[in-house]
Amino acid sequence: MSGRMCPMEEDELIKRCRQGDLDCFNRLVERYQREVYNLSLRMLGNAQAAEDATQDAFISAFRGIGKFRGGSFRAWLLRIAANACRDQLRSLRRRPTTSLDALPLELELDRHTPSPEEYALSRELGREIGKALSALPADQRLAVILRDIVGLDYEEIAQATGSSLGTVKSRLSRGRARLRDHLGQYRELFR
Amino acid sequence: MFKRKSECQRLKGMLSPYIDGQLSPSERERIEGHIEQCDACRRELESLRATANLLHRVPMVSPPRSFALAELAPINRRPVAFGALRAATAVAVLLLAFLFLGDALHLFGPGLIGEERLAQDTPEMLNGGEAAYQAAGYVWPVWQIEVALVAVVVVLAVATAILWQRRR
Repeated sequence: MSGRMCPMEEDELIKRCRQGDLDCFNRLVERYQREVYNLSLRMLGNAQAAEDATQDAFISAFRGIGKFRGGSFRAWLLRIAANACRDQLRSLRRRPTTSLDALPLELELDRHTPSPEEYALSRELGREIGKALSALPADQRLAVILRDIVGLDYEEIAQATGSSLGTVKSRLSRGRARLRDHLGQYRELFR
Repeated sequence: MFKRKSECQRLKGMLSPYIDGQLSPSERERIEGHIEQCDACRRELESLRATANLLHRVPMVSPPRSFALAELAPINRRPVAFGALRAATAVAVLLLAFLFLGDALHLFGPGLIGEERLAQDTPEMLNGGEAAYQAAGYVWPVWQIEVALVAVVVVLAVATAILWQRRR
């Protein structure tokens, strides 16, 4: 991934995007596509749908860049991505042939070389996390993914979800508690 | 006992922000003071922290391709067109309902529903065309408007249904 842009550089790119400069917009795409794709992937649990949502999000962002009113561009973009995910979810539900099963996750292993048993348990835990995430209500899933996987701060989550800080706190609390309950049987691996 | 339970409930929603360092110093002190005495809340805090740590181990994967835009695709105006059509259909239906109701209540003089007027039509009115009806107080060609509006509603509804189907 390319290094983080300084805010001034990002402001200049956004200014040029408003004038229709696609090359400048594509520099922003390069910067943020990893986060947008990962948000989509964890929200949808389906790699193809995540690709579609990511592409739709960037197209919508380019067309709507004139509506960006300052603040965190990252949060604004992730809000568009979350809306694209909602559209994809609706589309997936209408296509009964498409699997809505959770995409298995590969967890990052600890630095030490894992034993075959630890590796198998980690894979199983990854699968269970995927299932637990997909079982969360969409608003809680979005908050948990934005905080714990993408790494946004609370202010940015509030901006990306169009909700208040209090709502963000509440969704995160309830989402994490539900995940904890779902993953209770693997608690010995929570370290 | 009641006080302890109530404090646990009050602090429950603050444990997650506490893990993320999102509380004010006074709120943090309140949590820390409470978990020193309360095993249940301490276990709750640790299990939430462990869950958050576990989620931090979910890796950010690399996108399978670049999502750079190759060219400016034509703007898809279907959502706007769909919304406008839907609104126009709703307005036409409401107008039609108003006309039917007014006609039924004879607000516009004898109309489509007031069939009894046919029996009252004089030969002059029947032979004299619209002018004779107007002279007799039949001002608005209500039924023609109703028929035209029904046609408009049908066309709008079909167009809306086609767009809705395409959106799917």
